Amino acid sequence: MAESVLKTKGLNKTYFGKVNTPVLFDINIEIERGSFTALIGPSGSGKSTLLNCLGLLDPQTSGEIVFDGKSIISQNVNELADFRNANIGFIFQFHYLLPEFTAYENILIPCWIRNGKPSPEIEKEALRIMDRIGVLKLKDKLTSEISGGQQQRVSIARALINKPKLIFADEPTGNLDRDSGGTVLDLMAELNKENNITMVMVTHDREVALRADYIYELVDGKICKYLEVKKTGKAGAAKAIEERACDFK
Amino acid sequence: MKSSKNQYELMIALRFLLKGRGQTVLIVLGIAMGVAVQFFLASLIGGLQISLIDRTVGAAPHINILPADRIAKPISGGVKSDNRKVLYEERTEIYSWQQYVNDLKKDKRILYAAPAANGSGFIERGTSVVPVIVKGLTAPDGLDIYKIRKKITAGIPELSSDSALLGKGICDRLTLAVGDKFFLRNNKGEQVFLRVGGIFDLGSSAGNELVVISMDRVRSFFGIEGVSVIELQVKDVFSAEKISKEYGRQYERVKLESWQEKNRELLTALSSQSSSSDTIQFFVIISISLGIASVLGIAAVQKQRQLGILKAMGTTNRSASKIFIIQGFLLGSTGSVLGVAFGLFLAYGFIAGTGVNFGFEINARTLVTPVILAILAAVIASTIPAKRAAKLSPIEVIRNG
Ligand SMILES: Nc1ncnc2c1ncn2[C@@H]1O[C@H](COP(=O)(O)OP(=O)(O)OP(=O)(O)O)[C@@H](O)[C@H]1O
Ligand SMILES: [Mg+2]
Repeated sequence: MAESVLKTKGLNKTYFGKVNTPVLFDINIEIERGSFTALIGPSGSGKSTLLNCLGLLDPQTSGEIVFDGKSIISQNVNELADFRNANIGFIFQFHYLLPEFTAYENILIPCWIRNGKPSPEIEKEALRIMDRIGVLKLKDKLTSEISGGQQQRVSIARALINKPKLIFADEPTGNLDRDSGGTVLDLMAELNKENNITMVMVTHDREVALRADYIYELVDGKICKYLEVKKTGKAGAAKAIEERACDFK
Repeated sequence: MKSSKNQYELMIALRFLLKGRGQTVLIVLGIAMGVAVQFFLASLIGGLQISLIDRTVGAAPHINILPADRIAKPISGGVKSDNRKVLYEERTEIYSWQQYVNDLKKDKRILYAAPAANGSGFIERGTSVVPVIVKGLTAPDGLDIYKIRKKITAGIPELSSDSALLGKGICDRLTLAVGDKFFLRNNKGEQVFLRVGGIFDLGSSAGNELVVISMDRVRSFFGIEGVSVIELQVKDVFSAEKISKEYGRQYERVKLESWQEKNRELLTALSSQSSSSDTIQFFVIISISLGIASVLGIAAVQKQRQLGILKAMGTTNRSASKIFIIQGFLLGSTGSVLGVAFGLFLAYGFIAGTGVNFGFEINARTLVTPVILAILAAVIASTIPAKRAAKLSPIEVIRNG
């Protein structure tokens, strides 16, 4: 692996409650800068939990997250919020746009949070991204007035606007029909290549996973497979995923 | 780092309010009603009190300096002494009034200080004899304490040796007009022939029974060597009691009496009226606060999803709170300004409708106080949803869709 932008060391996550639920066990992963990494695994295996920990939305129980060579040690929610705003973009299964605002305004919200009123250059950039993503026509529509696929594309634009180091996507097409899901995925793959943006995507879809550079498979909260598609080739990767067995060291 | 000019919270707060139009309109109207009631009540009661106080002391002395009763004084040599009579008579006059007046005039808080001589006598006209109180005043200060120069309705407000200024009440009863002549008799049976020089209307029945002539005339006619009283008017009506007490400690040979001491009952009535109006206003404020707290509380729940996603994108707890505090402020300020406008409309409508100015006291204080109170209440009430917004963790929203 070339240079890594994100790395975990012995990450564990337990949900504490009436019963304590350990979800992630000793996760050690590395995300290469500019790469497209897929996170697969059966339902309940802990994919979303891992993504939320990596995205600094949910604190890990133990272990270390190293971002750009620096260990994230702050537990201060406001500092973490600032860090997310500047470095991380999110795309979720549900679009999570603000229905009170137009598509264009939604895209600019991360800038508002960062700088207040966006500069003309940023406004131009927002329009450029909208055009690139094919939602420029929807600029002044409220996000409650556009289709699911369009909403998801608007949230991709929103994730891009602050030029984050990393974009986390949790089943971004999980809620879309095949066609619009396909468009959204194509778009993400293209953006990844065009702008050298690092993407980590949780997906159920094997086809989608095979478009990634790296694949991690999670089973029962443990990393069970790690595949470098460049080395194995698509067919090799597909075959490796097919093999059910998981050899835990 | 984020600049302090970052005002996106305002933008979001505004949008939340504008998009929740129905709710916003309701709560703004609620606040407006509350503020209108407050404003109306405060200006009405304030106005009534001011006009009541003005009627009581606007055209009357605020402080009377009277001879100290029962300070014995030797009967002066000029008076025939009868050994069987008491050697001392009760002192009923102020002899060194000139000194007092000079001294009091130096005090900037005092508007007027004028001596007066009082007597009681009878007016005889035709077959009727009417007992009257005769006030001997000096011009212009003595007249101005009673605002006689302003309240003259006929004739000219001057004190000459052969004319008198009469209250409207007596003139009506005796059908006296300016230029008419009458006899004024004292209790020793002596009488003078006077002309009605002017007629005044002080607005009170007691005031309109007065016969006003020059102080020196009263002194000679009623045999007063000093003066009966020194009358004061102060700039700030409500400071009269304090000023009176102050001079009371200084002047040992006279007795000072402020209007407040003479009108205890009125003042008690006024203050209980004020406190009942304050109580009503307090509960209005409480209900405004509760309304805002509950509406914003509901909004905080409704907007959880939005807040969660904003926080995922980097909104800090402080900013999340600010979004609600700003909403509280916006609701409070628009509601209260609207309320004052509505209150003014009510007040002027009331005046136009009834034809009487009930004496609404509309000033900067009655206008601004309910606005500030409502904004404060709104902001304080909004801290409850603000805390809730601060506490919300983005992961809860994201995990649960
Ligand atoms: N807040 C929580 N408290 C307790 N347990 C939780 C909590 N959130 C998730 N879990 C548990 O953690 C495990 C992993 O959940 P997670 O949502 O990460 O799975 P996933 O791999 O994303 O599944 P899916 O593919 O269905 O989205 C599940 O067993 C779930 O029940
Ligand atoms: Mg999941």
